[in-house]
Amino acid sequence: MLDHCIGKVTDTEMKKGISDFFFTGVDIGSTMSKAALIDAGGTMRAYVVGPTGAEHRRRANRIMEDVLRQAGLMLDDVAWIVSTGYGRVNVPFADKQITELTCHARGVASLFPDVRTAIDIGGQDAKALKIKDGRLTDFLTNDKCAAGTGRFLEVAAETLGLSLDEMASISLQSDNPVKISNICTIFAQQEIIGRISDGQALPDILAGVYIAIASRVAKLARQLKVEPPVVFTGGVAKSAGMVKAMEIALGMPLLVPPEPLITGALGAAALARDHALELMQRGEFKLHKKQLAEAIFDYGGDKN
Amino acid sequence: MSGYFLGLDVGSISSKAVILNDREIVASAVVPSGTNHAVASSSVRAALLEKAGLQIQDIKAGTFTGMGNRNPGTDAFAGIMMCNARGSHFTFPSTRTVIDIGGQGSQLITVDQAGQVINFNVSGMCATGSARLLQVVARIMQISLDEIGLLSMKATRPSSFSTSCSVFLETEVITRISQGDSPQDILAGIHGTIAEKIGSMAASVAIQDDVVIIGGGALDAGLVANIGQKLGTKVLVPENPRLIAALGAAVISRERYTAN
Repeated sequence: MLDHCIGKVTDTEMKKGISDFFFTGVDIGSTMSKAALIDAGGTMRAYVVGPTGAEHRRRANRIMEDVLRQAGLMLDDVAWIVSTGYGRVNVPFADKQITELTCHARGVASLFPDVRTAIDIGGQDAKALKIKDGRLTDFLTNDKCAAGTGRFLEVAAETLGLSLDEMASISLQSDNPVKISNICTIFAQQEIIGRISDGQALPDILAGVYIAIASRVAKLARQLKVEPPVVFTGGVAKSAGMVKAMEIALGMPLLVPPEPLITGALGAAALARDHALELMQRGEFKLHKKQLAEAIFDYGGDKN
Repeated sequence: MSGYFLGLDVGSISSKAVILNDREIVASAVVPSGTNHAVASSSVRAALLEKAGLQIQDIKAGTFTGMGNRNPGTDAFAGIMMCNARGSHFTFPSTRTVIDIGGQGSQLITVDQAGQVINFNVSGMCATGSARLLQVVARIMQISLDEIGLLSMKATRPSSFSTSCSVFLETEVITRISQGDSPQDILAGIHGTIAEKIGSMAASVAIQDDVVIIGGGALDAGLVANIGQKLGTKVLVPENPRLIAALGAAVISRERYTAN
């Protein structure tokens, strides 16, 4: 339906119709990087998730290559790319950078159109978003304190010598969760060690850790007045123990997407599509020739 | 009036005890608190009596503060803030503000001419306002706590940090090391972060001279200098800043005994 706009695009390669194009969102988070690729109809065709590490630009390139490979596409098939997340400035091939709050709201609404509240707990922050008719209306974030973030879980897992997956499944066996009274992650770590030496059961300690995070994030969310339906996303939402603790803390059921890590990337892709369609309608769309390889070699000029 | 008065302070890291006579400190003792506070309080009491060459019967009155179990026979209880105020006032009668930087948090107390508490502010249970952050950083940088103060004072360009959370700072310190910041600049930056936190606590309490810094953090000369700068005032540090709460408890024992 927008094919008539394409004629105004000067680039000779742009003879394809809009329905031949794809859109990608790249979300470079503090801990994990994600990419999602959608088609012109808005349907997700591929996604990838991998650890961010210390080299954002290399990671951005790799994750883009991976998502293209997974979708069986070439870079030239992608019309528009939006980068988001903590490392969004380090995605040299992106057409636009958009903040993670906007991307999260868009991504959550694309999965759950009725969503009113979204809670996202990532590697080093937590966000509560109010959404109406698919648009972000209000938000609160905590990125100042590790309590109530994925980092708290990582510290607990490290202290107990468990993987995050092990923690999640063991915690579900708890019937008498321990109360962790410290808010500060550093003091809580000490408290966890104390609980172990007191002989408390491991599942009860782990359930206590999830409750500690949940009550902290619920406190943040309640400042915005939590309205259902509530969607829970971010890496921390992958843990069943955490979902249970969060539902108890908020006193209501939560919706969790099948892949809760990629809502930011998915929202970025949806915004890429929105943006490109809007430009096309105005006849201002220009396809930039994107290059990944150059950016990778570029990286060699950085430190190290 | 003759006799001996006992003060006992069981802290998160160490337990301290002081014996006072009618004029001065007779003896003091410090032992690690370990995992059992009841054991810590009895062992520091025993160590102190042995050091002073006294029996428990020689003690006219005892006051206990902190987290352990008091000896029901001898000890009354007093709050930690009151003990910090009385101990600082005993050491420096000109004390009007006390800043305690302990292993679990900080507190800021204003006192009157008689050493009575007027107002206070506490940091809450956050490691950044406490000496605990220094321990965390010392561990990463593989230096001892005692070295931090002097080393930090050689800083030329203190590092700046984007976070005030100790957990996130741990990561950021590692980043700064890999970026080539010198150890002294990193330490001075950390001192700046703690001083910032103390400064924000001071904003809601009207602080007055003289300002006394006590607790384990007061042993770090770089931190003390940074806080003085932040508050724009000269700060006093007692000879043994970790003993002040126990000393204050002993002072309270003596006051209570005299009042009866």
